[in-house]
Amino acid sequence: MTTTIQENGNQLIALFNGRLDTAAAIPTAEAVKPLLDAANCEIVLDCSQLEYISSSGLRIFLSIRKEAAAHGSKVIVRNINADIRQVFMMTGFISLFEIQ
Amino acid sequence: MDLHCEMIMDEYRESLPELERLKEQVLNTLREALDRYGLAVTTIEARVKTEQSLAGKLALKGAKYATLSDVTDLVGARIVTFYTDDVDRIAAMTEQLFEIDWTNSVDKRMLHQLDSFGYNSLHYICLVPGYKFRFELQLRTTLQHAWAAINHDTGYKSGIEIPRIYMRRMNRLAGLLELADDEFSRIRSEITDYRRKVHQLVQNGKLDDVLLDGDTFRSYLKAEPFERLNKRIAAINQAEIQEAPLIRYLRVLVALDCKTLGDVSRLIRKYEEDAYRLARYQLGNTDLDIISSAVGLQNICIVCILSTGGGKIGLERMFDAINGHNTQNTALAELTYEQASNLPFMQNNK
Repeated sequence: MTTTIQENGNQLIALFNGRLDTAAAIPTAEAVKPLLDAANCEIVLDCSQLEYISSSGLRIFLSIRKEAAAHGSKVIVRNINADIRQVFMMTGFISLFEIQ
Repeated sequence: MDLHCEMIMDEYRESLPELERLKEQVLNTLREALDRYGLAVTTIEARVKTEQSLAGKLALKGAKYATLSDVTDLVGARIVTFYTDDVDRIAAMTEQLFEIDWTNSVDKRMLHQLDSFGYNSLHYICLVPGYKFRFELQLRTTLQHAWAAINHDTGYKSGIEIPRIYMRRMNRLAGLLELADDEFSRIRSEITDYRRKVHQLVQNGKLDDVLLDGDTFRSYLKAEPFERLNKRIAAINQAEIQEAPLIRYLRVLVALDCKTLGDVSRLIRKYEEDAYRLARYQLGNTDLDIISSAVGLQNICIVCILSTGGGKIGLERMFDAINGHNTQNTALAELTYEQASNLPFMQNNK
């Protein structure tokens, strides 16, 4: 599992690649730290290469959302596959995130 | 400029640091108090009178001032409010904060004759302990401010200078804005009464008497009508529940023909069990131990849509309503439909 953060103007894009399971949660939480302090910007969680997300992964997404709201930023979840879309629906997370 | 005025100007230059300190203190005191009283305003600002402006004033009426401290607007502050009754609230607040020089304060709103309209603003001259200079506080509404700013932009310093035809038109507008200010205040007051009444009806359980809208739905949500279902769903995997905004579902509920909170309450009772079964079917064979508080209402809506023949299109519209129109919602609707097809309520519908 790798996480890369790119800057594009007022956007911060996190590219997730692999399986975001319990084992990958700790390094991923560390990798997304720069997103937590970002103020007044758009944070894109690009999931086009993300194969799987566990509860630990959902918690990471949630912490990014909470910090973004506190810092006046907006979070968009982009390009989720069918399995992850199902997870978002079953857990009611589609009401928490803007999904594109 | 005569010698007397030159001396006042010298005193002004020497006093600039004190005037700046006074300005900052006034601004901080007002901001803190507005915050404490919970009063929202459009603008709060302050300035120290410029040298050029003071010189102009002295050139016009220098003999009126024995010393610099006789000039009451060396520091000027202004608060612009949304509503006309907030002007009076902030005036009362100001009286608590500062000593008011009543002799020089003026309520321009009261100066008009019964048949005249024009500049409306409340001017308080205030004293702050420890400072030898007074400051002027202007209080007005956004509409009064707009009128005053445009009136000032005409370039005429007083009502006497402006040609009568334009003065009449400006004053007609002042009357119109006064009417609008009163109407805005009345609307706010009525909305507050409406919310209070709705809250009372919800508390007394008279849900059929309450029409479904944004205010009433928010009030209803305070009673946590989906808490029991959410807790049952959370218990499937001993999941934690994260708070999620439910207001997005208002459009869905309206589309499901809910007209009153009573209709929403009946919808919950009717579909709660199948909504739980849907969640158990979806989550039961996963280890997902986190859910949002929207999941209960979401599943109730899904079950209702499918039970009433809304099909995949109905589900897609629901996902569009809560998450914005998106091509992915088609796939989400199909997936949800497939899962629900295995449940008894769908079997019964076939």
